[in-house]
Amino acid sequence: MKLATLSLIALVLVAGVAQARNIDLVTLPPRDSVQLTIYNSEDLTLVRETRSITFKKGINRLEFSWANTLIDPTSAYFRPLEQEDQIEVLDTTYPLDRPQVLIWNVESKFEGQVAVEVSYFTSGISWSADYVMITDAGETKAALDGYVTVVNNSGEDYEGAQVRLVVGTINLVEKIRQLAQQGLVQRDEADRLERAGVVATRLKSDVVRGAVVTAELYDDRQAGRAPVIVKEGLSEYFIFTVGGQQTVKTGWSQRMVSFRTRDVPFDVLYRYRPHQYGPAPVRFFILANDQEHKMGESPLPDGVIRVFRENGRDGLSFYTAQSTKYIPIKEKIELAVGKDDQIVYERVVLDLGRQNFIYDEAVRPVPPVVGWDETRKWQEEIRNYRAKPIKMEIRHVLLGDVQFGMEGAAVKLYDFHTPEYVLTLAAGEKQKWLSEGTFHLGGNQKQNRVRMAGE
Amino acid sequence: MSSKRWLVALVLAAAALAAFVQPAAARIKLATLPVRERVEIQLENENATLVEEERVVALLKGTNHIDFSWTNTQIDKWTILFRPLVPGDTVRVINQSYPPGENALVWEVFADNAGPVRVRISYIVGNLRRSFSYRATAEADESALTLRHYMKVANFSGEEFGTAGVYAGFAGVFQKEMGLQESKEVLVAKFDKVPIKKKFVFNWRTGQPVPDEPNQRYVTMQYVLKNEKPQGAAAPAAAKAGEAAPVVLGSYPLPFGKVRIFLKDGKGGEAFTGEDWGQFTPIDDEMKIYLGLARDIKVERTVKKNERSPIHGNLFNQEVIVQYKMQNFKKEACLLDIEEDMNQLRNEFCGGAKDRDASWELLGQTSDKGHVERKSAQKIEIHQPLPAGPKEADKKPDFGLFLLHVLFKNEW
Repeated sequence: MKLATLSLIALVLVAGVAQARNIDLVTLPPRDSVQLTIYNSEDLTLVRETRSITFKKGINRLEFSWANTLIDPTSAYFRPLEQEDQIEVLDTTYPLDRPQVLIWNVESKFEGQVAVEVSYFTSGISWSADYVMITDAGETKAALDGYVTVVNNSGEDYEGAQVRLVVGTINLVEKIRQLAQQGLVQRDEADRLERAGVVATRLKSDVVRGAVVTAELYDDRQAGRAPVIVKEGLSEYFIFTVGGQQTVKTGWSQRMVSFRTRDVPFDVLYRYRPHQYGPAPVRFFILANDQEHKMGESPLPDGVIRVFRENGRDGLSFYTAQSTKYIPIKEKIELAVGKDDQIVYERVVLDLGRQNFIYDEAVRPVPPVVGWDETRKWQEEIRNYRAKPIKMEIRHVLLGDVQFGMEGAAVKLYDFHTPEYVLTLAAGEKQKWLSEGTFHLGGNQKQNRVRMAGE
Repeated sequence: MSSKRWLVALVLAAAALAAFVQPAAARIKLATLPVRERVEIQLENENATLVEEERVVALLKGTNHIDFSWTNTQIDKWTILFRPLVPGDTVRVINQSYPPGENALVWEVFADNAGPVRVRISYIVGNLRRSFSYRATAEADESALTLRHYMKVANFSGEEFGTAGVYAGFAGVFQKEMGLQESKEVLVAKFDKVPIKKKFVFNWRTGQPVPDEPNQRYVTMQYVLKNEKPQGAAAPAAAKAGEAAPVVLGSYPLPFGKVRIFLKDGKGGEAFTGEDWGQFTPIDDEMKIYLGLARDIKVERTVKKNERSPIHGNLFNQEVIVQYKMQNFKKEACLLDIEEDMNQLRNEFCGGAKDRDASWELLGQTSDKGHVERKSAQKIEIHQPLPAGPKEADKKPDFGLFLLHVLFKNEW
């Protein structure tokens, strides 16, 4: 971290002296450790620093200030890690005329050095996940690599920090960046008030800011080995802890390997759902985040996946890049890789008939039609030009009061207006079949659902 | 101090006021400026801050004119009160007048006897506000948390109050240095081992959609804590000098404020797990804190039956079966609360929004009527236990199914 931007100054006041204070300046304690916990669902990073501070018995005033970085002052929190029952924060003061500063009044019954922790929320650091899947030429197995990328746009360099990444969606009611910038707005207000003749009470200002000790750069990565990411569950979240200590300079991104797997089996499934995927069948690669598929160590965070195929000539073909959602452990993964020109699906209306008319007899001389039934006969065909068998799931949404029947495959209702059936075709096979739907329209419509023929 | 700061001056009119003195009855007296003995800032009313000053004023027998004026401070002059703290009516305010074009007023005070009198002067001041927040640290097993309740007082009133008693309406009076143009945050109360319930909620109408899954919504996670006295609570310890007396949870309504939740990670540290606005919570009521999404619980909602039975004319009954298909990928069992709004469900299948409430009953294919809680005539909650996912690596969590079989009666 750029040490000139954050300072923690201890002003020690002799206990019991209210008006006449002896203000002592304690040399600025060096930071012992820094931990960053970065969230991907919000622009939020929890920073925890530990330091050793020498306390005197009585009231100790600690001034915490920062510059050129966005810290939410309402999140700054001080706690002793030792002598907890001897040290207490009495109050926290936020001077209007000194934005990006706060002062803790700490009462100590203990005299001596104590390890303390200062934590706060900052903005501008984020992380994201992405995946690369490369299938073999026969599309039966794949190599799958997962990555996490930390992006630092905070204005602050972070050196020698332990990095944790939180997988999960948390709720924030106010953005950290806005809270961090509110202090700067109040500075304008202080200027205005001062011009209007309102004088702010200044803190005792004979304080000299101590020099900020430079943190040592840690780098325990051994030559040739990437940092290991350890994954642990915590409540509804998972925390990915990057091994060792990391350096992420402002403006930079750092991409790390989260996992690597090889020979991951997967299935291929085709789906025809025009209401959801459009007019052509879509091909899916189906696998799961489990041990059978050589994963299952942790949930897969949402991110972007890029899918390639080995083309058998030492090269790759690109299939798709798409967003993926969060996948719990043992949950299946469905990747839509787009249309397949080797699979053709067609559906045509072969015949149309209308019957069962009802009229509004009250209207003369020509009673109009107010209800009728319309029967459509469809012919559906699938042609498989691939050298291996395929499976296709088909759903049709039929709105209104409909009676539906189909020859051949077993049809069930996915929901009250959606028949669904599954077909398998051998390599090179074509299948054709007929289905029929009778729509009760106008005054003939009594329901809003599909009823299967024979029910 | 700068010459521009606000100052309170108690000045008796001098000989110039002699012209207004009633002959032989009142006299114009002069008193030395009394020092402010004590200040208390009352923050009970969220819309108005009351400041009470206590001074000892030397009064002479008869009429005394006391001038009260202020600069660069937003005092509501119509709220200024002068109250002598003496028994009986031996010192009384006869008149209170406001000179034109000034931030000032003059009290005409009659004293039966000469001598020092303790008085309290109170007024409503602007730009001195309070707000509340909470910081909760939950145990790793999420069965209880430590709740810290903070109050922040922002003093932009234009006046420095020195060491003042600050009272929020509960938890006693804090003695704090209230400087000019600053905010100060104090710990009002700390409640240890507050039991919490963790709730998982599925609401089809308000839930966040799941990408590429039109029949799914994400499940949300909440902590629920009750503002009630702990069972067998010991009497709180005595107050320390200058600090408010400790209180127990359930001794005052919890005011509105932001709640930030941290969770112990079992390694001496904490992780931030979310925040929410804590609503005003009366004693014995529950505070619900929405933390985020529980993405390891999957719920798919489909409608399996939608059948209309005409009654007469355009009057009909509508029979609907809603299926909830659930899967718990967590390692722990949990209870899922499925919220349904029967008016909205009726609107979905009975021809759109109506200006009347739905009349409905549950029918026989409802999975377990004992799990359905009627929160009101229109809102139900289904409490569905979900077992933990299987430990074996090759076994997937089972699907749980709940059918809600409803008859909407007499619709048109």
